[in-house]
Amino acid sequence: MLGFLILLAVLVPIFAPYNVVQSWNDPGAWTNNPKLAAPEWSEVFTGKHLPRTALMPYNGEPGGFDKVRISFNVSNQVYTTVVLRSSFSFQADAFPSEIKMFMTTVFGNVTGTQIKVFWGRPDGQEIHIFDANPSVRAPYENTFSLTGPTIKDPSYAVYNSIRDWLILKNVTSETEWDALFPRIGGIYQNPPKAQTMLMGKLDHSILDPQTSEVLKGNYSFRIEFNGFTATDDANARAVVYGTVFGLAGTDFEGRDLLVALLWGAPVALAFGIAGALASVLIQTILGAISGWYGGLIDEFVQRTADFYLIIPTLPILILLGILYHLGIVLILIVLVVFGIVGATTKVVRSIVLQVKEEQFIEAARSYGASRGRILFRYILPRVMPYTFALIALTVPAFIFLEASLSFLGLGDPMLPTWGHILGDAYGQGALFASRAFPNGMWWWVFFPAAGIIFTTVAFALLGYAFDKVLNPRLREQ
Amino acid sequence: MPVLDIKNLILWYRTRKGPVHAVDDISFALEPGQTIALVGESGSGKTSTANAILRLLPKNVLRYEGKVVFDGQDVMEFDTEEFRKVVRWRGISMVFQGAMNSLNPTIRVGGQVAEPLMVHYDVDRDEAADQAIEALGKVGLSADTARRFPFELSGGMKQRVVIAMALILKPKVVILDEPTSALDVMTQTNIINLLKELKNTEHLSYIFITHDLGLASELADLVGIVYAGQLVEVGPAEGVFVKPKHPYTGKLLASVPRLRSEAAPDFIPGAPPDLTDPPPGCRFHLRCPVSFEKCGWSAPEFIEQVRLLQILEETKNTVPAIEAMTAKGAQNLLIKPVANGTVAEFAQRLTSFIAQNQETYRFLKSVESVQAKTKVVEVKLYESTPPPLLGGDWRASCWLLAGAGS
Repeated sequence: MLGFLILLAVLVPIFAPYNVVQSWNDPGAWTNNPKLAAPEWSEVFTGKHLPRTALMPYNGEPGGFDKVRISFNVSNQVYTTVVLRSSFSFQADAFPSEIKMFMTTVFGNVTGTQIKVFWGRPDGQEIHIFDANPSVRAPYENTFSLTGPTIKDPSYAVYNSIRDWLILKNVTSETEWDALFPRIGGIYQNPPKAQTMLMGKLDHSILDPQTSEVLKGNYSFRIEFNGFTATDDANARAVVYGTVFGLAGTDFEGRDLLVALLWGAPVALAFGIAGALASVLIQTILGAISGWYGGLIDEFVQRTADFYLIIPTLPILILLGILYHLGIVLILIVLVVFGIVGATTKVVRSIVLQVKEEQFIEAARSYGASRGRILFRYILPRVMPYTFALIALTVPAFIFLEASLSFLGLGDPMLPTWGHILGDAYGQGALFASRAFPNGMWWWVFFPAAGIIFTTVAFALLGYAFDKVLNPRLREQ
Repeated sequence: MPVLDIKNLILWYRTRKGPVHAVDDISFALEPGQTIALVGESGSGKTSTANAILRLLPKNVLRYEGKVVFDGQDVMEFDTEEFRKVVRWRGISMVFQGAMNSLNPTIRVGGQVAEPLMVHYDVDRDEAADQAIEALGKVGLSADTARRFPFELSGGMKQRVVIAMALILKPKVVILDEPTSALDVMTQTNIINLLKELKNTEHLSYIFITHDLGLASELADLVGIVYAGQLVEVGPAEGVFVKPKHPYTGKLLASVPRLRSEAAPDFIPGAPPDLTDPPPGCRFHLRCPVSFEKCGWSAPEFIEQVRLLQILEETKNTVPAIEAMTAKGAQNLLIKPVANGTVAEFAQRLTSFIAQNQETYRFLKSVESVQAKTKVVEVKLYESTPPPLLGGDWRASCWLLAGAGS
């Protein structure tokens, strides 16, 4: 187990470079991923072929939109028309989670620059989904959702277009639609699920998301841009978001959880091992000094240890986290500072009290070895085996602490640690079953929790193995 | 000139029960090449004497006095650092009781033997290792022993390693603290022969601490008999072992089982005295078969012995009936008789009981006078002081000898 973890810790930085981690907190970096998607392999349990994400990049990139741009002059007025087209094949058994379109536009100061979006279906139908006016200029993107109202689209243009289309095709009537999707003050109380209609078979079942059947085949986008200066231009890309993603799914920002899971291993290992090594070694040396020199030093170290033992470290860390927003290195330093004396000091002192009465210590004293030499050459080597076991058993404590802090949102905000993911998941209610996620967002909780458990169990087993080797009572003669 | 001259060495420990007189005024001298065997029962202060010589003191030392003259210098005057540099291991080294535990289990034997070298002379590792191998060779161990860990060695081998370690700085005096006590007889013999050989080749003086009289007679030129923190007899081995002067030595020798002898080994009744409160006078008087007037019985001891007589089968009917006894000072006690008859009669009965029984129960010899008072009888005991170590080369501390001498 440990070998696997260490291998992982070594390999992860090679396969997933650190800049992936750096972009973790940049929402723009994850716009091409579906949000809250389960792992791809989870379709084994559903028995359905679940949709992957389809990307249609900008014109000019491989596989991107086709683009035709015409600029012409009619009675001193320049008109520029750009037509963008793209299509994708959809073969999954379930509807995508979201369909989005992004446009960069160049336009003059004339109001009325217009975008028209048409949606082509495999059955030959074409729906004029909405018209819109671009609001931002290149290089920034105008974002349009084809599956739900955007903030800029309070009139529910998508729903209205679908309604008009369905009434035109005699699939439904105005009264039925209004009964199914009532509006109060123009606002849908129970908005239709647009993708089930845009991509469903054209019959009466299309009205209900539960009964709507997926129409497989090639879908297409057609976008018309009409501008009023010679320099006007437009480009578009579109994303049909799936419901599954990668090996570990995604979170509410569409971030690939695999990255965080993999990076959690080296972070947890480094944090746990560094913390355990530092605190246990310091405690061991102080405990040995306390036991060996005795007297006032002993009294001082032991009373300090008593004092430290009653200081509740977690609340103090929480307080510090709230006040200062500690990075992971600072958390580690605080933990070590609050752990320079503690239980290990006492354990080691008691071992040293035993060892120092042994004959070979007296022998060493008799041939004139100095106290320091006896401490480091005679006593510490005897204590070290126990210390190794203690280190191995302390690593899980540190990993848990870091996870708890991250879970509470007080860990390093920049690093995707296991505890951090769990904290996000908890904050987003990942474990509550909902209509969209009848089993909750289990992948969001399960994998980081499994990572923590795997690591701590690995170290606990290592500690017990050490214990078996080193504890005289458990040792086989 | 003696290589080691110890004069009035005292080492008392502080305990909750009071001071423990572990080493109480011990003096002896050791000529170069000589071996003195310190023999005594467990807890008599032999090892404490060795520790006092090497100044290996625990924390609870109460008194540490006397003179230890090593090579003409009084090393008791040295401060800790000087003592460490001059005496420990360079001048006087020690082989500890239980060699099994005297080796650091985490260091290889070679490193262990070289430790004193590295501590004292700061020699580099390779040279120290070479010298360690040489030292191991001297005690009959092969060079590859140096690469082993202590737990890989047998008891005899470990003992040899410990001896090699004691010899590596070429000291003049080696203290052997029961060097063979945990070994079987064959190995004991081997080690003793090795020690004899080393004594001649390395010109060593030994202080050989043991409770094994046989081994002591093998190795020793001088014998010091230790009892209750004091030397009761010091003399040449041939003399002490053949014709002991002190009654304790005699009893000790009689307790050794003999091959081809029907007689059961003798033993000494009672237990060694409590060193927190050593008996006055001669410390052996309580258990001595020949104790007499001057041996130093005190009133509390006398009372205890009388109480013993009151319950002993042989005497319980003949002891005059006593109601109460109280000590009044160290030498006087008051006895209140059971009220039948006059006090004077009781005093008479007591006197005649003492006269009849004093050869069997020798504490009765310490009674100087019995006086009848109004209600009680006052018994006065002989005063006494600890007997001095008397004699020239062969000294013993017993009033019997002092009496014979004067």
